[in-house]
Amino acid sequence: MDKILEIEELSFRYPEAAKKAVDSFNLDIGESEIVVLAGPSGCGKSTLLRTINGLIPHMYNGDYSGDVRVAGSSVRASSMRDLAQIVGFLFQNPENQIFMFTVERDIAFGLENLGVPRPEMRRRVDEAISLLGIGNISQRAPHELSDGQKQRVALAGVLAMRPRLIILDEPTSLLDPKTAMELVDLVARLRKELGTTFVVVEHRLDLLVRVADRIVVMDAGAKVLDGTPRDVLFSEAADGYGVAVPSVTQVQKMLARDGLVADGKIYSAKELASIMERRGA
Amino acid sequence: MMWLSSGFIFRKGASRYHRLDPRVKLLVSVLMFVTALIVRSIFQLAIVLAFMVAVAAIATVLKRVARTMALTATFSALIFIINVVFTRNLETSALYASRFVAIVVSTSLFFITTSPDELEQVMKMFRLPRDVVFAFVTAVRFIPVMMLDALQIMDAQKSRGLELEKGNLLRRVRNMIPILIPLVVNAVVRSGELAEAMESRAYGAVPRPTSLAVYRAKTVDRVVAVAAVLTFAFTAYSFYFLLPTFVP
Amino acid sequence: MIEFRDVTYIHENGVKALDGITMQMDAGETIAIVGENGAGKTTLIKHVTGLLKPTSGAVLVDGVNTRETSTATLSRKVGIAFQNPDHQLFSESVQEEIAFALKNFGFPPDLVEKRVTWGLQLFGLEEYKESSPLILSGGEKKRLTLACILAWDPEVVILDEPTVGQDAIQKEKLAGTIKMLGSTGKTVVVVSHDIEFLWPLQPRVVVMKSGRIVADGPAPELMTKKEMLESARVAEPQLVSFYQALSRRPESPFVDALEARLWIEEGEASHRGGSAVT
Repeated sequence: MDKILEIEELSFRYPEAAKKAVDSFNLDIGESEIVVLAGPSGCGKSTLLRTINGLIPHMYNGDYSGDVRVAGSSVRASSMRDLAQIVGFLFQNPENQIFMFTVERDIAFGLENLGVPRPEMRRRVDEAISLLGIGNISQRAPHELSDGQKQRVALAGVLAMRPRLIILDEPTSLLDPKTAMELVDLVARLRKELGTTFVVVEHRLDLLVRVADRIVVMDAGAKVLDGTPRDVLFSEAADGYGVAVPSVTQVQKMLARDGLVADGKIYSAKELASIMERRGA
Repeated sequence: MMWLSSGFIFRKGASRYHRLDPRVKLLVSVLMFVTALIVRSIFQLAIVLAFMVAVAAIATVLKRVARTMALTATFSALIFIINVVFTRNLETSALYASRFVAIVVSTSLFFITTSPDELEQVMKMFRLPRDVVFAFVTAVRFIPVMMLDALQIMDAQKSRGLELEKGNLLRRVRNMIPILIPLVVNAVVRSGELAEAMESRAYGAVPRPTSLAVYRAKTVDRVVAVAAVLTFAFTAYSFYFLLPTFVP
Repeated sequence: MIEFRDVTYIHENGVKALDGITMQMDAGETIAIVGENGAGKTTLIKHVTGLLKPTSGAVLVDGVNTRETSTATLSRKVGIAFQNPDHQLFSESVQEEIAFALKNFGFPPDLVEKRVTWGLQLFGLEEYKESSPLILSGGEKKRLTLACILAWDPEVVILDEPTVGQDAIQKEKLAGTIKMLGSTGKTVVVVSHDIEFLWPLQPRVVVMKSGRIVADGPAPELMTKKEMLESARVAEPQLVSFYQALSRRPESPFVDALEARLWIEEGEASHRGGSAVT
């Protein structure tokens, strides 16, 4: 399978900065993977994300070396117009991504910008609305929506452009846990139904650990860990990088060190409990 | 703040006036505005204001318009006083003062019944450059958001001991600094985020973007437009040629 | 200390944000207020310093009705750290920022200096003393807002969603700060979604739903009430889920992963011990 994202020896330094924000970064992501990008604050995650959808270098200048390719095309050599149709970006604050006064019109925003003819636009907007289950709020104004709804609207706007890879920047930060869970389920469903690849920056790993295929950890601009959730969370280095190992996983990790429960999966609280019961603990 | 909110922030409405084509709503407001400018006596202006109140009632925005009138009246009282001091003519001063209220209300009526999306459509139809239209519509869309920001900033600073209600004028103005700076900073940060989101959704990709919404004038729009122009014509004529002979 | 007497608050648009809230917050307690978005948590804390006044009922801080005094006066005793630091920072330098509230509260200049230095040290911000607060990173800004509040040493500290956007290391430090405040006798109120963050602190938990308090009690007791948590859309801490799924278990749920691990070890040991006897 061809890689949907290839980052090769990428380095980037902002104009006035002393240090590089991204340092010799290498990463390959296959189609339909869900990859979580984690790391302490200031590690360069935001910068890295922007090199994927083209905001760097097309909107932000700086010292750029190395290469980023999405679906085979070099980001540096492509226009934002082309990139916007391959990579979607859901920013952290949904409020600042909703431009129009009606939900439906905002979902069409990207398509209008691309000059998509009205019938096709209508089709794609309806499709996005139905995928996200927001038919009942399609005529509302942004200020009438809850944070969770705003986020769905913003995501619908991204999906309408039919990108193959979607970046989610700390999508759960403003949501309560139940709504956050619903979002995670949505992401899993979209991956299954549409084959979309997802790169998610998230601190709250406990929510994503069950759907993620991989976790990539960054620190000071460089990649320091890259593997399955189990490999990364169970590694000794994880704690040092501010990776929030969920508490039940911490228990499993301690048991694994002593040779118990030492297999490949990450267990949920219930699963771990039943394993312990069976062992007669 | 209140004034801005009641006078110029759009809120959805279900009245037939709201549902008119935005160009017609613009026409009505412009005609009211012009009428307010050409009236020659307080009596005539009172008629214009009464008419505005009637339209406001039809548009179910009467409470807001009344509030705007009341809030604007306090400022127009200042205009009245200044005029009286300089011209010593009570009637003309009253005319100028209330004319100000009429102008504000006619403009307000347009903005409170026309959504930012409709504003965009009107501006596009006047062939304004796409970037200007977008900047304007985005600004309107975010005014309520920024007002909310301002409230939250005030809460945060009050919680640090900032007294906004006390002190002389100079002190009060200085106390606005901890409110204004975060407000401006937030606005700048917001603009940056909006710019990123715009770029990421291919803004500017083609010179003439298409549009999901279709705007077609309906019969009722044409009827109201014609009625508005005729009313204006009749009113202008009356005020200039007929009424002066009736005014006591 | 802080008392809510049948407080109801109705917004301008008619929405009832608080419905008959009666509760008390005593000195030295650490309280977590949880509930879904829109349950009324932020509305509740805004009533403590009079940012909002009840539509009916009364809020008393040390016996003083919030309707009879100003927010600035109440804030001398109750410091609220709001969620967004960008709504507060405006000074030319970090030290001026910390001094702002102190000056507003009438602290004499030498005390202002002492407190500013102390605040900078406590939160590791000394190197940024002269820098503009606006260029700090997100995490640093949050620390700065906390420093600003603790500098004037309020008896009550209220934190509104302090963990949003914070990485694991920052959260650990924050948890440490909360424990420290509690140990010095301060009342700490934390409004948060982050159940995993709150659980190890073992606070008193107040669960809100639709403007009402639906549960109020110690964490080990409340967080095991599955039905109540589900109806209030509050997540169950992972360790509680683990605890609930065990058929043989200790008195109260494990506070942290280590406690769980040790208990399992004990179980293993006795199991081995048992079979050796047989």
